[in-house]
Amino acid sequence: MTDKAAEEKRLARVWARPRGWGYFSDVNNSVVGLWYIAAAFAFMLFGGALALIIRLQLAVPDNGLVSAETYNQLFTLHGTVMMFLFAVPIFEAVAILILPAMLGARDLPFPRLSAFGFWCFLIGGVFVCGSIFFNAAPDAGWFMYPPLSTEQSGIGADIWLLGLSFIEVASIAAAVELIVGVLKCRAPGMHINLTPPYGWYVLVVGAMILFAFPPLIAGDFLFELERAFDWPFFDVTRGGDPLLWQHLFWIFGHPEVYIIFLPAIALLAMIIPTFAQRPIAGYSWIVLSAIGTGFLSFGLWVHHMFTTGLPSISLGFFSAASEAVAIPTGIQLFVFIATVMLGNVVRTVPMLFCLGALATFIVGGLTGVMIAVAPFDFQVHDTYFIVAHLHYTLIGGMLFPVMAGVRYYYPFATGKLLSRKLGIWSFWLSFIGFNVAFLPMHLTGLLGMPRRVFTYGAERGWDTLNMISTIGAFVLAAGFLLFVWDCVRPKRGQAYAPRNVWNAGTLEWVGKVPADDYGLRSIPQINSRYPLWDDKDLLATIDEGRGLLAHAREGRRETLVTSVLDAEPVQVLRVGTPTWLPMLAAIGLGGTFIFPVWKLWWLTLGSGLFFLAVLLYWLWTGTGEIPEKQSKDIGDGRRVPLYVAGPRSTGWWAMFITMTGDLTAFLAVLFGYFFFWTIHTDFPPVGVDGPGWQWPLMAGGLTLATWTVTLGARFANAAGQVVLSRILLGAGLLGAAASGLALMAGPWTTGLDPTSHAYPAIVWGLVVWVVLHLMAGIIMQAYCLARSVFNRLTPTHDADLWNVTLYWHFTGFCALLTALVIGGFPLLQ
Amino acid sequence: MSAKRAHNEVERETGHGTDLWRVIAAPIIWAGHFLFCYVYAAIYCEKAGRSASLDHPTTVVIVATLVALAGIGWSTHHIWRVRARSLTDHDFEYEHNTPEERHRFLSHVALMLCVLSAVAVLYVTIPMLYLGTCQ
Repeated sequence: MTDKAAEEKRLARVWARPRGWGYFSDVNNSVVGLWYIAAAFAFMLFGGALALIIRLQLAVPDNGLVSAETYNQLFTLHGTVMMFLFAVPIFEAVAILILPAMLGARDLPFPRLSAFGFWCFLIGGVFVCGSIFFNAAPDAGWFMYPPLSTEQSGIGADIWLLGLSFIEVASIAAAVELIVGVLKCRAPGMHINLTPPYGWYVLVVGAMILFAFPPLIAGDFLFELERAFDWPFFDVTRGGDPLLWQHLFWIFGHPEVYIIFLPAIALLAMIIPTFAQRPIAGYSWIVLSAIGTGFLSFGLWVHHMFTTGLPSISLGFFSAASEAVAIPTGIQLFVFIATVMLGNVVRTVPMLFCLGALATFIVGGLTGVMIAVAPFDFQVHDTYFIVAHLHYTLIGGMLFPVMAGVRYYYPFATGKLLSRKLGIWSFWLSFIGFNVAFLPMHLTGLLGMPRRVFTYGAERGWDTLNMISTIGAFVLAAGFLLFVWDCVRPKRGQAYAPRNVWNAGTLEWVGKVPADDYGLRSIPQINSRYPLWDDKDLLATIDEGRGLLAHAREGRRETLVTSVLDAEPVQVLRVGTPTWLPMLAAIGLGGTFIFPVWKLWWLTLGSGLFFLAVLLYWLWTGTGEIPEKQSKDIGDGRRVPLYVAGPRSTGWWAMFITMTGDLTAFLAVLFGYFFFWTIHTDFPPVGVDGPGWQWPLMAGGLTLATWTVTLGARFANAAGQVVLSRILLGAGLLGAAASGLALMAGPWTTGLDPTSHAYPAIVWGLVVWVVLHLMAGIIMQAYCLARSVFNRLTPTHDADLWNVTLYWHFTGFCALLTALVIGGFPLLQ
Repeated sequence: MSAKRAHNEVERETGHGTDLWRVIAAPIIWAGHFLFCYVYAAIYCEKAGRSASLDHPTTVVIVATLVALAGIGWSTHHIWRVRARSLTDHDFEYEHNTPEERHRFLSHVALMLCVLSAVAVLYVTIPMLYLGTCQ
């Protein structure tokens, strides 16, 4: 056997997917991505079925098909499922599947994290969806506005809050994975200006998730404290305000629309150039618009709150920002139109979906510009006009592009082509059905039909339009079902598609058909944006193993880590292998979120401890491993290290990104404090003198000390003073515990009762938030101490300590800020 | 732009490398300006009451706008040379595999984001010029 054949065989063995039941312990992106996509589509079908019941109920006036209570659950769950269980996860699912191949990596940097995210998503999704079968689904709208959702009976709101907080863990895990993937795992030579547009969008959307989702997590945290322990954040009678929830929800909710839209547009940015058979026109323009949209979309949240009685000037600012976001969005669309016009378009089914998407989205975008004008919004707020607008943007901006993407990437994922005939049928049924269903809703809305009513009187004159919408909805459903059938129908007898079936130019299409588990045979040097079109030797270089990392000599799964801007190889990263740990961790964490719904605190605690144990075992055995040698030959005469620490390592980046999100969540809770200050003339209220300044001052000092000794431990360790480093870590443990106690002592000793008023509640809320983080910090310090004692952390292999110190930069800052605010701000009043 | 060069960085025709932070500087200024204007006006109106005149906040917002535009202008100035360089060789595709090309690409994106951010800052200021009270 030749060397090359042996290399190939070893690669295949190292990357082989587990068989039998073990298949579900796999963590490779190509497998987890498929599971993710399948699960997201299953939830989508469920959400669609709910929508059909809604449409049946509204088909005729005074209909009694479902009761008002059931109807409330139906529309709440429909919105929730489509947003949280389909639209966002499908982005992560598709990205996990295709991104490594597109960037020329063997896998994403943290495959086990991807798998963990998937299991969290699946467990949380089944939990939330399953509630409707027990008549316990949330029923206050997908935005869960209090007081409707706080004062109603039942556990629906808890299921929503806890279930979705849990699912957001999956979103953030995927965001971390994808950002680090795009920044650090591109093939050598793939400078940032050569990154496929999809990579740029993933980067922008990943960053948006970090700033958009945490405020909702903070909101969920406050909301659940109110529901479970009666802390009155949203109760007006005790100093709270429901508008706080609306702010936190929409700071998440509006960017979320773009978090959904941009990845779908990213698919168009990959598909359209292929079928136009030319590079995308205006590459830098599309990057500009992705980044611009990402930023501006955060300035739009109050446009969901135009009718809540905010001052006109606030509405003015947000109306202006809402109009401004049309500029970068428009640029994106013109780039696509220009690409189509400059190229020779190949007529294919994915292209048909792309064009349908553009046409539909433009209608939704135009009505969006109308609604951004505050007085028009006053008129149509909470009518079916809004329902029509949002479905045009989401279906045109997300569903059709995703359907185009699924059809386009189907041969990439499975090796088989979908049926052209079924595709054309499914497109026209979906496209016509969609327009028949939603175009009349603009009129229904203008005629005054409110959203979320379960029935209406015949005298209103809305019946014909509603009947048309219902018929359209069923035609759309038929088109979608045809699409699903095409994807799942057995294809054993069908021949494999040719390699690079669409004659695309980007790297994900170099794979063989059927695909090898290890992806690329070897990692090539990239010199252009569409290497398959520009480099005629590329396929041969890859297939003959003349690229980098063509072997797995040590029997380990490895991928190449490169520098952020110029993609110079900096490390060979050993990535996770199949294991049940991510699934077990997800089960443990799931219990921690699910048991509190029924206030089963002991089970919650048990689940939490189980999660922690699994997590520690996972980290101990699977991360920060000291390699058997310092560097390794990756081919082409290059040697790169196997172990790096600090900002050069992927782990540090992951921690940095996670902590950015965490800091955002903290700032959202802190925003609550100052929000209450703005709405109250006396804050703290008269007669409340906690938490005083003494204990917070002490807590702040202790936090600073802890922070310093943790940093000192890193320096001491790097200088070879291992004993001193351990002593400092031990001191850090005590310091963290003491600062937590001091922080709690303030409100405790001054008798602040969190159930009495929003002020003590928000003070306690901040304290609880920080104390939980200090506890996590203690566990991390203890972990490093143990690693050091067992020689898994040495002066030259100190990645864990770098990451923990980074955690402490953020946590120390949050604790200090909390101490200053709760102790110092009342003194200023 | 950092004066310190990466070990693999080539001698640039258009100055030192542009990094990702430079690209998002202008949008960050927009975000800062936007948040400042909104938070300032919201607190002012909440504390002063709905009938309060907006004369004072208008002045503050205009000053903030001038500061923001100055910041964006400063950022634009720094990448202007690169733009001139890009215009002279009529190549806006930035598809070569060199650090110089990456630098010009990021500068081009940064420059356009400066324009977008300046427009967005002006948009946000417009309502302030037309409204008289906190109503």
